[in-house]
Amino acid sequence: MSALAIAALSFPALLTLIFLRVPIGLAMLATGFVGLVLVTGETTIPLGRLQTESFTTFATYSLSIIPMFLLMGYFATVGGLSQALFNAAAAILGHRKGGLAMAAIGASAGFGAICGSSLATAATMGRVALPELRRHGYDSGFAGATLAAGGTLGILIPPSVVLVIYAILTEQNIAKLFLAALLPGLLAALGYILVIAVYVRLRPEAAGPQLPPLPLRDRLRALARVWPVLMVFALVVGGIYAGWFTPTEGAAIGAVGTGLIAWANGGLTRATLIDSLLGTARASAMIFFIIFGAAFYNGFLAITLLPQTLADFIGAQDIAPLTVLLAILCFYLVLGCVMDSLSMILLTIPIFWPVVQGLDFGFYAMADLHAARALEALRLGAQLAPDMLAQVEAAIATGAELTREQIQALGLRRVNELALERVNGEAVAIWFGILVLIVVEVGLITPPVGMNLFVIGSMATDTRVTRIYRAVWPFVASDILRIMLLVALPALTLWSLTI
Amino acid sequence: MLGGVVLLGLIGLTCVSIMGRQLAGILNGTTMQQVAPDWAQALLALGIGPVLGDYEVVELGMAIAIFCFLPYCHLTFGHARVDLFLSRSTGTPARLLRAGTEALFTGALAVIAWRLTVGLVGRFDSGQTSYLLNVPLWQPYLAAVAAAWVSVAASATVLLLRWAEVLTQREILHDRPEDRP
Repeated sequence: MSALAIAALSFPALLTLIFLRVPIGLAMLATGFVGLVLVTGETTIPLGRLQTESFTTFATYSLSIIPMFLLMGYFATVGGLSQALFNAAAAILGHRKGGLAMAAIGASAGFGAICGSSLATAATMGRVALPELRRHGYDSGFAGATLAAGGTLGILIPPSVVLVIYAILTEQNIAKLFLAALLPGLLAALGYILVIAVYVRLRPEAAGPQLPPLPLRDRLRALARVWPVLMVFALVVGGIYAGWFTPTEGAAIGAVGTGLIAWANGGLTRATLIDSLLGTARASAMIFFIIFGAAFYNGFLAITLLPQTLADFIGAQDIAPLTVLLAILCFYLVLGCVMDSLSMILLTIPIFWPVVQGLDFGFYAMADLHAARALEALRLGAQLAPDMLAQVEAAIATGAELTREQIQALGLRRVNELALERVNGEAVAIWFGILVLIVVEVGLITPPVGMNLFVIGSMATDTRVTRIYRAVWPFVASDILRIMLLVALPALTLWSLTI
Repeated sequence: MLGGVVLLGLIGLTCVSIMGRQLAGILNGTTMQQVAPDWAQALLALGIGPVLGDYEVVELGMAIAIFCFLPYCHLTFGHARVDLFLSRSTGTPARLLRAGTEALFTGALAVIAWRLTVGLVGRFDSGQTSYLLNVPLWQPYLAAVAAAWVSVAASATVLLLRWAEVLTQREILHDRPEDRP
């Protein structure tokens, strides 16, 4: 059996293990190990890799951002910020039809700005907003669906743990990805609010009565209560982007800042601190074990050249790049129904990224529109090209030595191409990353295995989960609409590259 | 628990290092050098500045922390898995499957710990040190190896209980609801 065949067969084997409830990291580790043994015919290489790889994987500077962001999320959870956020959002939106549900979305978005985890956002906001919504007579299924959908804003709006892992896997700039996710994240919140507006218009009985509008002063006062959240968000994301500190350092600052806020609010006691640390420990160990397993499995795949072969194969077919992209996104939507977002990203990005990377989505045109420097270089190259090219060809044909000028012109063109390639690669990476982030996040609210639905369902004990299932579809529809919008208009995601 | 302390320490260290760097930047900046050069020099002489080798410490410390987190994660059933077909199923086949999975896990963790121990011996013999601080690499490895063997012990315990489940036909362990990002 060829190495390629073994690699191709390893994927169904891996999926079988995963569906047999073998922990995902373990499944990847075991499959990678067996695969390496089969391909190399001996155990020396996999055993040799294991000597240091577990340590060096865990001792990776860029990965140390993950526990810090997780701890930041836990601090935000215990810090009592969710109540302040919900009050502020309710003060502004409460007087509208379905206003409290809209407020829950707004507050989730605010919470997402300091928490990189979807489940934590859903759980925290659910604890605060669900009782309020029920008390005001909102339909339980509708309220649950709203909060489950709002929870997805936790990973959409930066900082986002999933996005960090994507950035590390594809070797992209975390700050640029965060900034690119901002607008789609806000669009998501807006889309959910629109869904609520339409929903309560069609089914008025699902919403409770509107609250009396508050005077401007009270609204401002409620808003003033949430300024620390905005400050931490601006400091972390802005500071990383401005280059004041590395992403890991930004996460450390965010964790300390959120911890201070939680402490000032009286939410950070000895008990909650220990809880936060234990929660961080548990989630970090889980994530790092999967990362280790994924690194091992992907190392095996790389030896067999499967990702490259697949990329070349798809590149050689005459398929429109957009078709490939849409197929991958649909695959994620389906897989998302049964798998959680992080494992999906770790499992599939190393395979899909080489494929997508090689596709031309016409960002060359965008790149030279937006990146002024690249445009300048290209224009120079283009001006020199036609006659210079003829000269060079003539020189080669006659066997004459190339002049300095000609070599310079050639070199210039090469540099231009590389620069464009890089700009294009970055644009594709960021665009694809945001799209993948959204589709895997949809997986959190699609039955049967939508983790957010479970979290909310476990909180609303008097509500059948199926009721939430039924009410969540409009939100899923808005997600899919948004994906189509972002596919059609890449500029919505890529504007951040131009500033 | 030890891992948590290490993590907090690393976060604190990183913040101190950033503040030191920014402060040093301000102190070395033109304004301070013109307005109060003596003060600025004095403060710089006191050692205000980025912490030397902070990246290194974060890397090595984080590895130790993660190794310490692993047994806890294991004992609380924190590892991510897909609950589609077999989530809460009972009966002997399901129990056998769980026991088999755990056996695989114990084996994998044991192999990891074993290889890491070999790696530790390698670090010890070669006398490799870290880049800036010259920490002998075997020291963090030793901590990691110890934690790795604790993971093996944790997994072996779970394995024993899983087999007890198979034999006694009762559920002993109850997986806690998972929380993942």
